[in-house]
Amino acid sequence: MLRAQFPGLNVQVHGKPLVYLDNAATAQRPQVVLDAMNDYYLHHNANIHRGVHSLSESATDLYEQARVSMAQLINAPSEKDLIFVRGCTEGVNLVAQTFVRSRIKAGDEILISHLEHHSNIVPWQILCEQTGAVLKVIPMNQQGELVLDDLDQLINPKTKFMSVVHVSNSLGTVNPIKQLVQAAHDKGVPVLVDGAQATPHLKVDVQDLDCDFYTVSGHKMYGPTGTGVVYGKTEHLEAMPPYHGGGEMISKVTFESTVYNAVPAKFEAGTPNIAGGIGLGAAAEFMLSIGLEKIIARDQQLRVYAEQALAQVDGLRIIGNAADKAPVFSFVIDGVHAHDIGTIIDHYGVAVRTGHHCTMPVFQFYGLAGTCRASLAFYNTEQEVDVLVESLLKAKAMFA
Amino acid sequence: MPDLNQLYKQAILEHNRNPRNFGKPDEWSHHATGLNALCGDLVEVYLNIEGGVLRAVHYAGESCAIATASASMMTEISTGLSVAQWQHKFELFKRLMDKNSQHQSFDELGQVNTLVTVKKFPSRIKSATLCWHAMDAAIQGLPDATTE
Repeated sequence: MLRAQFPGLNVQVHGKPLVYLDNAATAQRPQVVLDAMNDYYLHHNANIHRGVHSLSESATDLYEQARVSMAQLINAPSEKDLIFVRGCTEGVNLVAQTFVRSRIKAGDEILISHLEHHSNIVPWQILCEQTGAVLKVIPMNQQGELVLDDLDQLINPKTKFMSVVHVSNSLGTVNPIKQLVQAAHDKGVPVLVDGAQATPHLKVDVQDLDCDFYTVSGHKMYGPTGTGVVYGKTEHLEAMPPYHGGGEMISKVTFESTVYNAVPAKFEAGTPNIAGGIGLGAAAEFMLSIGLEKIIARDQQLRVYAEQALAQVDGLRIIGNAADKAPVFSFVIDGVHAHDIGTIIDHYGVAVRTGHHCTMPVFQFYGLAGTCRASLAFYNTEQEVDVLVESLLKAKAMFA
Repeated sequence: MPDLNQLYKQAILEHNRNPRNFGKPDEWSHHATGLNALCGDLVEVYLNIEGGVLRAVHYAGESCAIATASASMMTEISTGLSVAQWQHKFELFKRLMDKNSQHQSFDELGQVNTLVTVKKFPSRIKSATLCWHAMDAAIQGLPDATTE
């Protein structure tokens, strides 16, 4: 059984079996990921891309194989199109400060959406402050879906870049990325897609989406924390200036000048998170071995079950009811604040996130300070959803 | 294991159901906003200070039961005090709620001592202290306070 491969699920909280429904914050990791990282430290511990000694060579092979596995997971044309980063946040900042900064000026526009995580808002605000560019926002509706009626005006001659989230972390909405990319490309605007919440739930194909950049967060897709990749189209990566300066990203340094290394090394200054990268590769291989079709089917079962189960709780309102959504449920309950719910159900072993989930503009739209969010992964069970519902009824009873 | 009933005591639930001095008053002399950046809790504190005395203490905002009860109790215990007396109580309250302190109560804090069990739930201490920091900021003439 797949669930048995996640040792982190096998713990008790307040004497109750853990019911882990905070997967959108960070997922659990399978044993194969932990083993891959340990194996590096135990049997291949050396720096990469340097020494001629055997350990360095085998460590380099493992790290570069991880890049190949990640390329396969998102169907990138070449593993050389992938830059290892600490996560989506660093990925967005990297693209903002290299690709976009080098082609933007005062008065130009950057287009994001109302559903963005703070990590796909703030890097653009910083860039706007630096350059005098202006941030524009694709609006959302009550269902938690993007409203594309005015897209034609929003993407105008001033628009120089679009950055949109694939799957909303707070509502679960799956955005119509292909349509958005097509609309942007029709006007010559390149697009970054924030895939933090997409790779755990969807079969991502960057070539089919035709996006210019795609960011992946390792720890949301069962990999180690502090890992991720940015995919970029080859021609963009070649043309972009480097991000951080340092070792590894150079081919020749004198005091007069420096020649940068080839892509992707040009963007990977310093000794990277080697064990993390190898663990991320193992996570990608793990997901490919299960098969995304199987994961998607299981997500769908859980989503339908949880939707029906939560409907049994009187006074519970699900926030975000997009037609296409991941098994992520933001909700409020009349008379019980989200933080109180979170504390009470924790005592029944249930882990959820409470608050604004780093998407304050989304909850400003709904006029809410925050919600409880139960976010499911394929290893969750119907019985766990039942425990969630029972614990919510107990929270309600306490406040009755 | 700390018991949930120790956190959600009757007194706390009662203040949450019937918060005292809740809502934006018509007039005030001092105001500050308390923001818990971690969870998004936002509380507004409105004071009417005349001649160094807290004539009226009100608060508004949407917050959890712990924050609501703490704010409600704070307004009750603070009204009529001199600013110096209040600051003394605020110091005691900070000592009471310090998770590393052994203090279980201070006579001067009266019903506010009920909140001491929140210390057993470290992630919720800031819920209880937010409004107090906001009131302190208001007295000092600062626009806002955070629990960070």
